[in-house]
Parts: sequence; C-alpha cells; structure tokens
Amino acid sequence: MSKILLVEDDEIMPKIVARILPASEYELHHVSNGKEAFEKLDSTNYGYDLIITDIMMPYANGFEILSKVKNRERPIPVIIVSNAGNEDMIMEGFKLGADDFLKKPIIPAELLIRVKRLLMKNK
Amino acid sequence: MDTLRKFFEGGVFIYGSTMLLMYAVLAYMSYRGIRKFRRKSSFTNYDQLLDSPLTPGISVIAPAFNEGVTIIMNVRSLLTLNYTRFEVIIVNDGSTDDTLEKLINEFALVQVDFAYNERIKTQPVRRIFKSINTAYDKLMVIDKVNGKSKADASNAGINAAAFDYFLCTDVDCIIEKDTLLRMIKPFMDEEHMKTKEVGEPCPECGYVHVVEDSRRVIATGATLRIANSCEVDEGVIVRVRPPEKLLPRFQEMEYIRAYVLGKMGWSMMNSVPNVSGGLGLFDKEVAIKAGGYDHKSFAEDMDIVTRMCAFMIDNELKYAVRYIPTTQCWTEGPPNMKIFSRQRTRWGRGLGEIMTIHRKILFNPRYKKLGLVIMPYNLFFEFLAPIIEFAGILYYIFLIITNQVNWEYALILLLFVYLYSVMITTLAVCWDQLTYGYYKTWREVIALALMAFFEPLVYHPLIVFFALRGYWFFLIGKKSAWGNMQRQGFGKKKVNS
Amino acid sequence: MLDIQVPAFLEPAMNTFRYAPLAIQLAMIFIVIAATGTLLAYFSILRSRYLGYRRDKRLSYLLPKVDNLIIEEVLTNPEVTETSYSDQLILNTEGFQELPMHKKWVREAITGRIMHFRRNVRGNMGQMLRSLYMQLDLDKDTMKKMKSGKWEKKVQALTEFINMDMSISDVTILPLTNSRNRELRAAARHAYIKLSKNEPFKFFDVVTEPLLMWDQVELFRIISSTEDIAIPNFARWITYSSNKSVVSFCLKLIVHYNQLPAVPAVIKLLDTKDHYLRANAINCLGKLRVPDVEEKLVSLYSSQPLHCQIEILKALGRISSGRYIDFLKQEFLHSTDFDLRKSAAKSLVKNEWIASQVLRELIDTANPENLRILKHCMNPLIKY
Repeated sequence: MSKILLVEDDEIMPKIVARILPASEYELHHVSNGKEAFEKLDSTNYGYDLIITDIMMPYANGFEILSKVKNRERPIPVIIVSNAGNEDMIMEGFKLGADDFLKKPIIPAELLIRVKRLLMKNK
Repeated sequence: MDTLRKFFEGGVFIYGSTMLLMYAVLAYMSYRGIRKFRRKSSFTNYDQLLDSPLTPGISVIAPAFNEGVTIIMNVRSLLTLNYTRFEVIIVNDGSTDDTLEKLINEFALVQVDFAYNERIKTQPVRRIFKSINTAYDKLMVIDKVNGKSKADASNAGINAAAFDYFLCTDVDCIIEKDTLLRMIKPFMDEEHMKTKEVGEPCPECGYVHVVEDSRRVIATGATLRIANSCEVDEGVIVRVRPPEKLLPRFQEMEYIRAYVLGKMGWSMMNSVPNVSGGLGLFDKEVAIKAGGYDHKSFAEDMDIVTRMCAFMIDNELKYAVRYIPTTQCWTEGPPNMKIFSRQRTRWGRGLGEIMTIHRKILFNPRYKKLGLVIMPYNLFFEFLAPIIEFAGILYYIFLIITNQVNWEYALILLLFVYLYSVMITTLAVCWDQLTYGYYKTWREVIALALMAFFEPLVYHPLIVFFALRGYWFFLIGKKSAWGNMQRQGFGKKKVNS
Repeated sequence: MLDIQVPAFLEPAMNTFRYAPLAIQLAMIFIVIAATGTLLAYFSILRSRYLGYRRDKRLSYLLPKVDNLIIEEVLTNPEVTETSYSDQLILNTEGFQELPMHKKWVREAITGRIMHFRRNVRGNMGQMLRSLYMQLDLDKDTMKKMKSGKWEKKVQALTEFINMDMSISDVTILPLTNSRNRELRAAARHAYIKLSKNEPFKFFDVVTEPLLMWDQVELFRIISSTEDIAIPNFARWITYSSNKSVVSFCLKLIVHYNQLPAVPAVIKLLDTKDHYLRANAINCLGKLRVPDVEEKLVSLYSSQPLHCQIEILKALGRISSGRYIDFLKQEFLHSTDFDLRKSAAKSLVKNEWIASQVLRELIDTANPENLRILKHCMNPLIKY
C-alpha cells in the first residue's frame, strides 16, 4: 500500500484522481490548500510515499511545499499537476526538485504510469 | 439685499439640482456598466492567462512601515496570488521595529547587488534582498531610508520593478486571490495597434515615425471594502461580513457607494477621476514619465492619476482609466473617531491640494474630459460641497432667526433631499449585490442598507466637519503635525466618487 | 390641474402641491419617485438574495449526485483504459434520467459540471465525457442558446462547443465572425479556428481590425491546445497581411512552433517603418536563435530607437554565438542609457561560455555602477 498526499484546491480533481489510482493499491489523502498540507505533513511526520500537488493555492503554493519536502533528509517524490503551464513555471518546479510535471487536463493513464514509475524508483 | 438673496437661492437651487442629476446619471451609467460586466463574466475564462506565454508581467509593490506583527502573513498572502508572471516588491520604509529581520529570517533573504535605476528620485535605498530559496524567488525586499510618505516608498518600488505593469497596494490590505487576473484584463481589452504615420522622415533614423493611434489603458481600479468584521485566517478572507461597529459600517456603505456607483459610472463615461491608493494597477512607463508619486502630496493616489492623464493629453495620446466593480481588496477602516477624524481631515487637505496644484487643468478645454468634466466635478461636488453645505446651514439659521421660513416648504425640501440620498445609497447597495452576492445572509445586507437612513443625520455631518477642518489646515499651511501618521495603516486610501 | 380622485388623507398634500411654486412641486414629485425607488431597490436586493440562496441550495443537493453519476458512468467505465476509443460507445445514462432533467437549470448545471471535468482530464475520459454530453442531449440546449437573440448567450454556447470539441457547420459560425458585437465576433473566430474542418486560419486573411491582447491570449490557447490542427507556415501573414496585430501575433506563433522556414519573411519585416513591429520581429529572431541575423541586427543597431536597440542586445544574448562579444562590451561600457547597459551586460553573461575572460576583465575595471549592473546580471537569484 503506498500512501499518497494530494494537495489540490479544485473540488473535482480529487474525485478523478481517486478513481485513477485504485484504492486497493493506493491510500490517498486529500487536502485543499498549502496550510492544510503542512499540517498534514507535520502530523504524520512526512509519512508519505508520494505527493501530488497543484501550484497555485491559498496560504502556501506548491513550490513552497516542494521546497520543504525536498530539503529533508529523505525527500518524498513530488508530481506537480497544474493548469498553469508556462515554461518558466515548469522550469522553476524542476529546479526545486519536482520529479514530474503534468499539465491539466491530464490523461489518466499517464498519471497512473508516472505514479507507478516514481514509486518503483523510490522503493 | 433682496437681489442678493434671490441670487443665492437660485445658485443653491441650480447647484443642488445639478448634483442630484449627476448622481442619477452615475447610478444609471453604473447600472449599465455592471450589467455589461455580468454578461462578460458569464463566459470569461480568466484562468487561461495562467498558462499563456503572452500574459503581461506585473510587479506588486507594497510599502511597509513598522508592520512587524503581520508582515509575514501579508507577504505570504501576496506570494500566493493567482498569477504566473509577477513579482512582489516589499519596500521597508526605514521601519524602526523588526519588520526587516522577520522578513529576512522567514524567507531566507540575502543581500544582492541590484542594478537599481533611480528613474524617480527617492530617499536613498540601502539594500535590496532576494531569497535563496527558489520557492520565494518572486519576492524582493527593498530597505530604504524612511521618506515619511507612502509615495516615496512606492516610487522606490517602481524604480526596482521589472515588469511593465505595477500593482500598488498596502501591506495591510487583504487582496483577493484573482485580483491580478481580473485587473489586468481591462489593459488587454482596449483596442490598440492602430498605427498612424506622422510627419516627414526623421533626420536621425530615416524612418517616418509611427504613432500608436490607440487608446491606452493607463490604470485600473477595483472596489475596496472594510475588513473590520471579516474573518481573516493568515491573510486570507474566509468570511465577508459588514462591520459590526457603526462607524466602520458607515464607511463600508460609503465605499460601496463611491466605488460601485461612483467609479463604475465614471468608468462608463471614460472619466474615472481617481484610483485608490489601496489598490490600483498602473502602466509603469506612463507612471514614470509622469513623474511617479508626489511624496509631498496628501492625496498622492489622486495626484498620480491626474498627472498621468495630463501627461497623456499633453502628448496627444489617447488613454483610458478603467474600473472593475468586483471587490478585490479589503482594508482596515478607522475604528474610532480619533483616527477617523485624522483620516478625513487629511483627505480634505489632499483635495484642497489637488485643486490648487492642478488648477491649470481646471476648465482648460485642452484637457477635454479631464479639464471640463472630472476636475470641475471634483471642484464643485467634492471640494466645494462641504463649504456650500455649511454656508447653506448658516443661511438657514439666519432665516430662522429672522423668521422668514416657510416651514411647510422647508420640510418638503428637506424630506426630498433626505429620501433622494437614501435612494441613491440603497441603489448602490443593490448594484453591489448584483455584481456579486457579498455577505452570507440577507439580514447582513439589509442591516447595511438601513444605514442609509441614518447617514444624512449622523455620518454626513461628521464628514463635512472634518473636510472643512482639512481645508482650514490646508489654508493656514499647517505643517503635518502627524509626521508619519500616513504610515500607520489608516488614512491612505482615498474614496471619492 | 389634475382631475384624478385622490384618497382623503392625501388631500392636504394635493392642496399644498396645487399652490406650491414649481421647485416645491418638483420636490414633491421626486419624494414619491425616491420612495418608490428605495422600495424597489430593497425588493430587488431581497429577490436576488433569495434567488441566490435557492440556487445554492439546489446546487448543493444536485452537484454531488451529478459528480457521482459522472464518476460511476464515465470514470469507472471499463472502456476508459482501452487504447482505442469509439464515439459509438453507448453510456448508461439511466441514473441521470432519475434527476429532474426536464428542468433547464438542471441540464445547465450538468453541462457546467461536464465542462469542469473536461478541464481536468482529457484522453479517453475526456472523450467519454463528450459522449455523455451528447447522449444526454445537452448539445441541443447549447444549440438553442446559439439561436438566442442575446449575444452573451451565443458566446456562452460557442464556449461550450469549443470546450466539448463539437463541430458546427461553417454556415452557423461564419456570419457571427462579422458580428458588430466585438465579444461575439471574437468568440466566433475562436470557435471557427477550433472547430472548422477546412481552412481554420482563413480569417487571418480577412480580419481588418486589431486583435486585442486578450483575443490573442485566447487564440493562442486554442491554437496550441487543439491537437489535430494543421499548422500552416505563418510566414504567409508576416509577408502579406496588412494588419499589424495579425503580423505581431504570427511572430509569437512562429516562436512557439519554432518555424525556422519563416525566418526569411521575418528578416524582411525588419525593414518595416513601425518601430514596435520591428522590435517584435527582432525579438522573434532572437528567440528562434538564428545566428545568421546577428550581423544584420548589429548593422541596424545605431539607427534604431531605444526599445529596438534593447531587443537587439537581448537577441544577441539569446543567440549566444559568441561572435559579438566586443560589440556587447562596447555598448556596456559606453552607452549612456542605463537599460542599454543592463541589457548588454545580461547578454554578455548569456555568452559566458566564451566571454568569461571578458567578464572577469570588466568586473576588475568597471566603475561602481557598471559593476553593480554586472553583478546583478550574474546573480542567479535575480531573474529579470
């Protein structure tokens, strides 16, 4: 069972992601803004195998989450899923150590494959 | 004596009817504006600006003076605005508290050698900071010597700004997250690129110079509201509520009237007189060429808009100042009489200043709408209104004493003016509700709207009094006894319709 | 004066009215108007609050149901993972029939929700959402909106068609592309580009008024997100269009699609009299990294206005061939304008792979201001 944290302020996206990643294999937790994400991470002592995050959210944006997660001893893999997809942003994301970048609208199969691959790599 | 009296009464009559007519026109125009805005928003997709390479960049400039308590939260909220190409420039205006230290610690700032180009003269800039954490690379902090004014600090921010547009705000204002997306739209919506070739080939370059014969949007404003009773969580508004205390609630009502009814109406006539200092998006090139903010002014926000307009007209360029009716910014309104009186006295003084500094524009046909509509309106219905009202009351008292009053007619006139003002204010609240259903319950809306009935009796006299006090200080040229008061968070956002 | 029967309690008021001077009469009329106006405003406030309340309540009941149905039907459909997907797949819409689909607001809410889903997923799921939209006959509603007399309804309909990737006949759209309403005209053109099967870019030839920045953003998004669109060589409009905004928009598209065959046309554009357009052309050449144009740009340099000069310096940095280091150095040292010096310094830094020696030299010898500019440009923390 892999534990995945989804940080996303759109109301529909979590439902979609929950369908794409079967519940039998993935334990998906959803929070809807940067503040909640930090609270969740702190309370679980960063106990996630993967983080899927949007960029633009209230309180703290995806980049901040990214930089916090990546500056730890054992960084958690991060996939950015965002509707803001200009080149600068993607570059910035990778500079901060993002493992993957998907632009909305996403292709479900693609998300599934990338999640699987990242989890394999970090086993 | 009798002719004088006739003359006076006739004057007051014409003045009064013009004023009432103006309000009716504004109410009508703003209704049309809001209807148009609603139609457009039914299909406008602002989000597409987020991933377009064509999106214009915006520099968000927020001066801070001794804001140590809230600075981190406020900067955080600015950094999470919904936009991709923007930077946040915090100008630490020589704070004497720990504002700067807090920023340095929280955002991992380091001093950088910054190619600062002082296009507008300001107090010296000491240091410029950037973050070593890429997550905060949109943030820049300028540390400068205190200039005793928001204007001076904003100018330093403009000098350092990288993008073509800048949003001027206050650190203590709470900005709605889609503000940049919404406010940049009017700039992108104006017809442009119609070219006109003028004159002989230039002796220097051999080309015929081409002039853009298009209307350029030089500034956009939006509605401001009072934050006093809103629920705020770490710099994000989570629940909008009209102020519970009476004084701020009157102000909320006044803001709604001034913005939604006043400025929206003016915007439809392409004559917005002023963009609030609390929130305004400007074309940087024009702002710099017009000389930036005037650090000596008591109404620097109105002053810069007037000067930018004058600059465009002087150079025979077409321009527009736009306004959007949705509320994008919440600001702390003066909670008690003491601060309120200071704020309004200051506004009164600022208005007096604007009228004298820009008197060459007034009634000058060369300045078209600016000279023949906006400035005269400001003179008669903003600047002179308190004076005329006060004179009117004195005259009335005189009539009462000499027993020349026809009480029946006097009461009818009073009732008329009273009801008319109630109607205008109620309409403003109504238009505002049409724009967006602010507040959670209908009771809150009605409680706000009912203030219209008390306003002429309670709030309005106060405003008249403070305005007159401001004029008086302006006349005797009282040195600003308040020193740095303009940096105390209050008294810098100007509202007038 | 007036011979209408008035109720007794109004009699005194009527008497006063009859004998009052004109000003007072007007005031009395306006008292009535103002009181009515205020009442109407209150009524309208309460009405809009009530409608809003009812809408929110209904939607909060309906939307979760719709979401669940969409997820059940579309997202969990076994066909979703198939590599090939057929439009003919019949979805089970029974669940939807239990909703009050005969009501217009319900259908509108479902359409909105499907569009929202489609903004988040594409691929087979997106296709299926589209099938759902059609099988629920929601496209008929959109078509009805198209025929509405209100322009904003038409624009809404066009946006829905664009989102759903529904083809519409040219006959329906073409008249709208010449509408007198700017918004409608723009939306119709966008729809035409997205949905027309033949010659999507035709209107570039005929459009005479400027494309606004906003329209350009919208067009750009539509062109770059439409998957099966045949991208023409935009050089065609660079050369032949007399509409400046079309030319400048095509320059951006050329950069986006990296259309090197268009370069000669863009170079030709450097002769234009319009400074702004020329600056755009220089910008485009720089972003395409065409090394052959450096010479031409440098030879033009001295006769250009400031913003074109800045673009030339930037282009030299982007192309980064290393052949014009001396020129950049000259400009950096001797130009009087701050922005020129900064742009020159930036481009020198971009040429660092060959200019590191020169940069070191400059750092050692520059005056304080120039040194600051250099350090600014070399600092990776500063982006602009």
